[in-house]
Amino acid sequence: MALLEVTNLKTHFTTRDGVVRAVDGVSFSVEEGHTLAIVGESGSGKSVTALSLMRLIPDPPGKIIDGSIILRGDDVLKMDASTVRAMRGDRIAMIFQDPMTSLNPVFRVGFQIGEALRIHKGLSRKDAAARAVEMLDLVGIPNPAERARDYPHQFSGGMRQRAMIAMALACDPDVLIADEPTTALDVTIQAQILELMIELQQRKGTAIIMITHDLGVVADMADDVMVMYAGKQVEYGSAHDVFYQPLHPYTWGLLDSLPRHDIDEKGTLLPIEGQPPSLIDVPSGCAFHPRCPYAQDRCVKESPELREITAGHQAACHFAGEDGFVRGEAVPVTGEVA
Amino acid sequence: MFKYVMRRLFQMIPVFLGVTLMLFVLRIPGLLPGDPIQLIVGERELTPALRAEIEEKNHLNEPLHIQYGYYVGGLLQGDLGESYQKSRPVTEILGDKFPNTFRLAFAAILVEIIVGVLAGIISAVKQYSFWDVLVTLSTSVLVSVPVFWLGMLLQMFFGIKLKEWTGGSVFLPISGMGNPPDFVHLILPAITLASVSTAYVARIMRSQMLEAMGQDYIRTAMAKGLTERAVVFKHALKNALIPVVTYIGIDLGALMGGAILTESVFSWPGVGREIYLAVLQRDWPVVMGGVVVVVVIVMFVNLLVDISYAALDPRIRYGGAAE
Repeated sequence: MALLEVTNLKTHFTTRDGVVRAVDGVSFSVEEGHTLAIVGESGSGKSVTALSLMRLIPDPPGKIIDGSIILRGDDVLKMDASTVRAMRGDRIAMIFQDPMTSLNPVFRVGFQIGEALRIHKGLSRKDAAARAVEMLDLVGIPNPAERARDYPHQFSGGMRQRAMIAMALACDPDVLIADEPTTALDVTIQAQILELMIELQQRKGTAIIMITHDLGVVADMADDVMVMYAGKQVEYGSAHDVFYQPLHPYTWGLLDSLPRHDIDEKGTLLPIEGQPPSLIDVPSGCAFHPRCPYAQDRCVKESPELREITAGHQAACHFAGEDGFVRGEAVPVTGEVA
Repeated sequence: MFKYVMRRLFQMIPVFLGVTLMLFVLRIPGLLPGDPIQLIVGERELTPALRAEIEEKNHLNEPLHIQYGYYVGGLLQGDLGESYQKSRPVTEILGDKFPNTFRLAFAAILVEIIVGVLAGIISAVKQYSFWDVLVTLSTSVLVSVPVFWLGMLLQMFFGIKLKEWTGGSVFLPISGMGNPPDFVHLILPAITLASVSTAYVARIMRSQMLEAMGQDYIRTAMAKGLTERAVVFKHALKNALIPVVTYIGIDLGALMGGAILTESVFSWPGVGREIYLAVLQRDWPVVMGGVVVVVVIVMFVNLLVDISYAALDPRIRYGGAAE
């Protein structure tokens, strides 16, 4: 059994305009010491998936309406409030996109790192402070003892994200969820933060769920990749398979819109036309069909099931696995789809 | 920090001079009714010799700018002049009244802090609940009710009607401080004086709290596994309190300067009422002295508030000595 197994997770939000199916039946699993990347455009349900794992969905308006999240045999969705709190920060920890706003400006950095240790490990204020200094040292903050007494505004963006990582890893969690941890950082700092995460993962054996829209990050870190579109997973498999034998036209689109400086220097980027759909009024059939160059009548009427195409590699496309339906070879359907 | 405080202290000088100058302008003959010499003489017969003597003693025969010089000179030595009406030094008169004003001010601030902050927190934490609606409605009413009218209403209800209904056994005193001063005399004036600011404090507290609760660092705190109580009362509250403390601090300065309306309605023997009576009697040195002292107090309390900011919000460091 995997460390974390998520089955048929559905998280919906009730709004005035209707029900937003932010996450609509997603299943995946993560092994110890492995990294799963969840990829997709903004609004595809990546972050809601992550927050659902922590049971941090604001209710109302949000609600996890179905599914199971099994962490080492315990169903997170069946836990009572105090068990969930005991799990947060201790067994599953999370770092967020914007380190500038994710730290509380009026508390010292060391205090904020030590807080989780005090609640989960029962450390005294003094021991927690000492451990916080060790954690800052671990994530590569120079003069950690001094820096622990600083306030967040005295840290640079990269240092703050290091502090966030220190905070998340303080209790040695089984799973670390990183919600676009490098998006708000400079490119050079991005690389440092990713390296740090990889290094700490190797040292501690933490499973990482990396949420990102940056396929470069995925290539660097991920063992497995899940591609999400409109709240559903459209492709799921090992990073190698998803990168080298992508099955879903949406994944092709994502890969095509990635700048490749190794091959065609002047090659133009191929963006995916159109916008992600509204999650209230999801298109009929395959949610991707209005933007898919290969869509046929069947795609409008029939919603494709996620199915295993090759061993351990799943995709939700009617044509995935058919002869000739391969990235770069498939022929776009011209003309209006009925 | 030291440099900052010194700069602020220096900035007080022009404000101080400006206020005294403006008050002095009011003494240009013919601008305000009433003859000060007549006031000083009172019932005695005003002979030319007596007039000359009084003019000489009070420097009233000098041109206005010379009089101003005398006044500021006296001020720097702690002399605010002598009351026309009471023939007592103004410092003595005000010295008697300020402790009473402070008493009332602190009572009112306490009401603001306890009622205003709590109502704001409850209102924010239970947004759109019955309590939230109640707080929102009652604060809207309170900020628009004139203070003197609220005071009279409270007097009528708790002082007169309640006494009638209970046959004279239960009521709250409606004037004075009691002899010796006691707590029950403080209740109605303190509530009246605090009313508008309590409503503002509740509203600021509510909006700041709601804003803080929506911040990313709150999600971080939740993700750490903190209880909701710890998240609200530690992580959100400390951020939300900063503007509230500022408001209360500034209000404390204003209240310590005396509350003319409340003190008058409740016959509270404070500085505000003293200034009000002095205006009625055209007792110029008392008005002038009272206003000058109030201005100085407000300036110093505001400086203290600004300094205490730095203690609450680590992002604020004065004087550029931070990193």
